[in-house]
Amino acid sequence: MPDESNPIGSIKISPGAIATIAYHAARQSYGVVGLTSKNLVNGLTQVLVKDPTYGVEVTYDGQNIIIDLYVVIEYGTRIKSVALSVRNTVRYQVEKALGMPVSEVNVHVRGLRVSDPD
Amino acid sequence: MSSDLQVANQPVSHVRKYPIDGQAFKPMVEAALNWLRTNQQTVNALNVFPVPDGDTGTNMVLTMQAAYDEIANSAERNVGKLAHAVAHGALMGARGNSGVILSQLWRGIARALDNREVLDGPALVAAFHQGRNTAYKGVVRPVEGTILTVAKDIASAAEQAITETTDPYDILDRLVQAADESVKRTPELLSVLRDAGVVDAGGKGLYFMLEGMVRYANGQSLDSANFTVQPLSAMKLENAAESIEPGQDYEVVVDFRPHENLDLIHFYEDLEEMGTSIQVGEGDRMYRMHIHVPAENLYLPIEYTKSIGTVTKVAIENLVAQMEEIERESSAKLNLTPVEPGQIAVVAVAPGPGLARVFASLGVSAIIEGGQTMNPSTEEILRSFENLPTDQVFILPNNKNIILAAQAAAQLTVKRLTVIPSRTVPQGMAAMLRLAPDGDPEGIAAEMQSALDEVETGEITVATRSVEIDGVKVQEGQFIALLNGKLILAASSLKDATLSLLEKAHVDHFELITMFYGADTPRPEVNAIVDSIRKIYPDQEVEVQDGGQPHYNFIISIE
Repeated sequence: MPDESNPIGSIKISPGAIATIAYHAARQSYGVVGLTSKNLVNGLTQVLVKDPTYGVEVTYDGQNIIIDLYVVIEYGTRIKSVALSVRNTVRYQVEKALGMPVSEVNVHVRGLRVSDPD
Repeated sequence: MSSDLQVANQPVSHVRKYPIDGQAFKPMVEAALNWLRTNQQTVNALNVFPVPDGDTGTNMVLTMQAAYDEIANSAERNVGKLAHAVAHGALMGARGNSGVILSQLWRGIARALDNREVLDGPALVAAFHQGRNTAYKGVVRPVEGTILTVAKDIASAAEQAITETTDPYDILDRLVQAADESVKRTPELLSVLRDAGVVDAGGKGLYFMLEGMVRYANGQSLDSANFTVQPLSAMKLENAAESIEPGQDYEVVVDFRPHENLDLIHFYEDLEEMGTSIQVGEGDRMYRMHIHVPAENLYLPIEYTKSIGTVTKVAIENLVAQMEEIERESSAKLNLTPVEPGQIAVVAVAPGPGLARVFASLGVSAIIEGGQTMNPSTEEILRSFENLPTDQVFILPNNKNIILAAQAAAQLTVKRLTVIPSRTVPQGMAAMLRLAPDGDPEGIAAEMQSALDEVETGEITVATRSVEIDGVKVQEGQFIALLNGKLILAASSLKDATLSLLEKAHVDHFELITMFYGADTPRPEVNAIVDSIRKIYPDQEVEVQDGGQPHYNFIISIE
């Protein structure tokens, strides 16, 4: 749990809180149409689950904050560019809210949604 | 921009080709790219998120460049097939958020033009309709007040316009207007834009693309160097900001009323013999002519327009002098060192612009203005580094009165703030020289701290009241010298105070004297004093820098 201590007290931030920020940042990123379970077994049917940490994993090893995102991307967009944008947006929003650096944001593209086949 | 003036930059005023087949559409795509590129910096300047995936304008230009490259050598006459090629290029070259959205817009446009031979009014409306729909599908929670909103407003305007005209160029005209209005509304929809006092960058980029197409159709230039019809006051800066080539010594702008109908083609040709960057503005029986001429042709354009009409106003600007001014100002800009997460960012308090530049050149990432008589608050100190993307911050207070405020800031921030207790500006600079970009922060801090005592600091200022401290008697208005913060002497002239200070500091045992002169100290006086110092201490190196600090005539670093 990320922790900032000084003589007047301490602040602890749970991974769940960080995941919520990351989740909302990812959902507002262009090209990302959903987040999904880490395990494909649970499948794309759960893309629209309302749980605000679904598809986001936050790990903290005492030093580094690492965020893993499992996303579904709109078919027809350039996946690499979308993934880069998500990574940057999530990192920026989380660091801005936390005031602490995020060491890694890993974007796992778990699927594509096809609204318009070409 | 004065609305009654229209640019007639090229002699032929319209390039409207009917019908718009693939080969007629191609230059319009190119025009969108070129006009976007011309205005790239304008779009870049609108960025509000310091997200490190590049600037919006640059991303859009690169995306459009990839799109246009796909058709640059195409002889395709079918507009649908051409649009598909553009969409493919945009997809492959999509850079950044705005680039991805742009590629989706093109994808929708291409779908709507599927199998269409030509782009007529209804096809144009369908294209923007489908472009909007496809673009909106790419995001679950669309944020309004962005390029998406502008695309939506353009599509609505197209549906409105088709009820009044079916001419694709007339429709485009209205779309540009709708895009402009939509872009202006973005701050109302998105508070980050409102707070930053800007409009949405992506939306503005999209506007420029449409405007580029219309400008091309109207025969207007797509290169800002050849285009301006603005109030004279606004013209000045924009033109001078471009680099001036040889033979462009003066800018001449003449307003005139021709005696008879002006033959624009001849007029333009005649002007071309006198200079470059020619623009002609046309208004209500009024013309405005703009040209860059070499010094020897300065009065030619005026004589020439006098021969064909009544000259009402002449404005001449010396471009060479303006360029020098701009170069001087741009060199005054601070070049702060960017930091990456995890790296050490150093923040320095600098009491003057010159000192700020020196600190910037030494590698600090943020500057806090302040010093002896204007101590920054803890709040200001906190604000200086909270947006830096790292939590490892070192601060150089460079003044004994600011050390406390800096230490207070360390208690209030979640970042790891280390105060390197530099009591003077030279101490801060000495510490900066020991900064290593990577490595153990505690070790680096200790190393920087150890550098503080390796430099002697001399300061010369004027006594604000009569006083006796440490056995030194001071009259109000006298020059006083401080060595390492301690008052050591008073003198009636700046020169005497400076020379006596150096003597008491045993400068002859040191190697380098750096003199930072203050904002109120005239350069000739500085030079005279420095000359004397060099004569007295021929073995020491004496450097002079514009410190720009108030109140202190000199801050002197002795090492």
